[in-house]
Amino acid sequence: MIIIWKDKKEKVEDLLSRKSASYAVDFEVPDGITEGYITIDGKTIAYRLKITGNEKIRKGSKYDFEKKKTDLKRILQITDVKQAIIPISRFEIKLKGKTFSGSEVTEHAKVDPEMRSVSKNKMESNAVKLIEEYGGKFRIPYGLGVKLSKLKSEMPKKGFDELMETVGVELGKRAIDPYEAVGIIAAQSIGEPGTQMTMRTFHFAGVREMNVTLGLPRLIEIVDARRTPSTPSMEIHLKPKYASSQAAVMNIIKKLENTTINDVADIITDTVELSITIRPVPSDMKERLVDFSDIVVALEGESSQMSVAVNEESKELIVKPQQETFKKLYQVQEQLKTKSIKGVPGIKRAIGRVDEKSGEWLIFTQGSNLKGVLEIEEIDAYNTTTNDITEIAENLGIEAARNAIFKESLNTLQEQGLEVDMRHLMLVADMMTFTGSVRAVGRQGISGRKSSVLARAAFEITTKHLLRAGLMGEVDTLTGVAENIIVGQPITLGTGSVNLVYKGAPKKE
Amino acid sequence: MTKINVLKHDMVPEHQIVGKDEEERVLKELKIGKDLLPRINRFDPAIKALEEINGPIDDDTLIRITRKSPTAGISVYYRVVEGGLFK
Repeated sequence: MIIIWKDKKEKVEDLLSRKSASYAVDFEVPDGITEGYITIDGKTIAYRLKITGNEKIRKGSKYDFEKKKTDLKRILQITDVKQAIIPISRFEIKLKGKTFSGSEVTEHAKVDPEMRSVSKNKMESNAVKLIEEYGGKFRIPYGLGVKLSKLKSEMPKKGFDELMETVGVELGKRAIDPYEAVGIIAAQSIGEPGTQMTMRTFHFAGVREMNVTLGLPRLIEIVDARRTPSTPSMEIHLKPKYASSQAAVMNIIKKLENTTINDVADIITDTVELSITIRPVPSDMKERLVDFSDIVVALEGESSQMSVAVNEESKELIVKPQQETFKKLYQVQEQLKTKSIKGVPGIKRAIGRVDEKSGEWLIFTQGSNLKGVLEIEEIDAYNTTTNDITEIAENLGIEAARNAIFKESLNTLQEQGLEVDMRHLMLVADMMTFTGSVRAVGRQGISGRKSSVLARAAFEITTKHLLRAGLMGEVDTLTGVAENIIVGQPITLGTGSVNLVYKGAPKKE
Repeated sequence: MTKINVLKHDMVPEHQIVGKDEEERVLKELKIGKDLLPRINRFDPAIKALEEINGPIDDDTLIRITRKSPTAGISVYYRVVEGGLFK
């Protein structure tokens, strides 16, 4: 459990200067709280600390402040005070699942006990036994172990031993040696087939505006870690209850598609009266399952900007800006055009189709909003994906992003009929997610953050890196490949990775 | 509105906290220092889901990730929790 409170800056600075301290506070703190946050201005959280002890102030106890001050209630043992590099805003703290309330005590939300079972991988005991049995000689990947354990029961003992010997030899051939330059092999293996890639976009039959970028542009997009892909799209799975009926699927589609006022009504601007008339088009409203009252409800939140008059007879809405100026009128008109009535923001179109393999309905969308879509009830949240890698990293974590990078790049290459070994793509995905956030390959990302000055200078913007290194007094330890080539030394790979030291024979006397 | 557990999502592999005594063994086996291991942010959705189950997770905790791999079947990966926001 955590606690957030407001405090004076001098007091917190005093705390910062001590390793641990007893701190009296003037509010109740329940037992079991281990972590505290302090805010100074009430808006941003700037300090984090650990609470190791929590004692009630009683008369006659070690800490008896009763004579001086009466409003102190608890003594906290505080250690490990840390200051935030950038203060976290109140808004962000809320997002992180912690509610903020002045000096009041707040609790973590209770977790659904059903959530506890997260284990998805259950290993087969036979395979594990087999891997352990032969583990002394060579390492068998689990996938292979499963296949071999099935063969073991079918084959005679002698034959199986011979088979395992061959497996060992073959595995040994394929193993990568220590200090092998896997990065450059991966670069070459992806780069060469990449020259044969074509630009291609995939179109959904019957829907003009729905397409998905594929081929080289898509691969560049993945590797560059762009904030949003050029054609964001989602693949939405449904809960079994809804996945078989077309009517249910159509209803969900209507729920998903972001509908603006402009989609279902004519917006007429009267520049003489300085008013805007919203005239709903019944046929469009029916198609998008929007009611007249939906529009009224959507506009209610905007009452500070405009006044809305409802004409029940003609089913029209007359909107006037709060200030009767031409500029305001124009602003309100623009606002009305993009005002969303229902649906998930960001989802422009959605179409349903039956998956050939499973026979279930799937929904494909143009536009992506993983967070918004996952909140919809009918959706199978645990299988729904998007092609926006940044969004996956934000909502499902870095490991999911790593999987997404791998799958997206593999699919892009396979769709072009290019056979690239998956392990190269896994290496790229692992490197891109190494620091815990998705980094691009290139100047802004992996290559630009190398520790060696010379390696960075050899890549791009040479002068900037060299000048900076000179100013800051950077040291290059010459451990990589590029810097050793520049200096004219053997590179630290293969035989170059070994240093020979001659100890000399001890003198015999 | 139901809250989803990201650890159950198809794309998210299994995350586990590695205890302090086990951690030593793992690092010895891998022959690597903690500072050289890949990182995972303290505010990563998967870490936050783990926190809701196991209580607060300190910085520098080792996390074991058991991935499903198309080439090796199951592969084990490690990440270290990194604060980032607090120094």
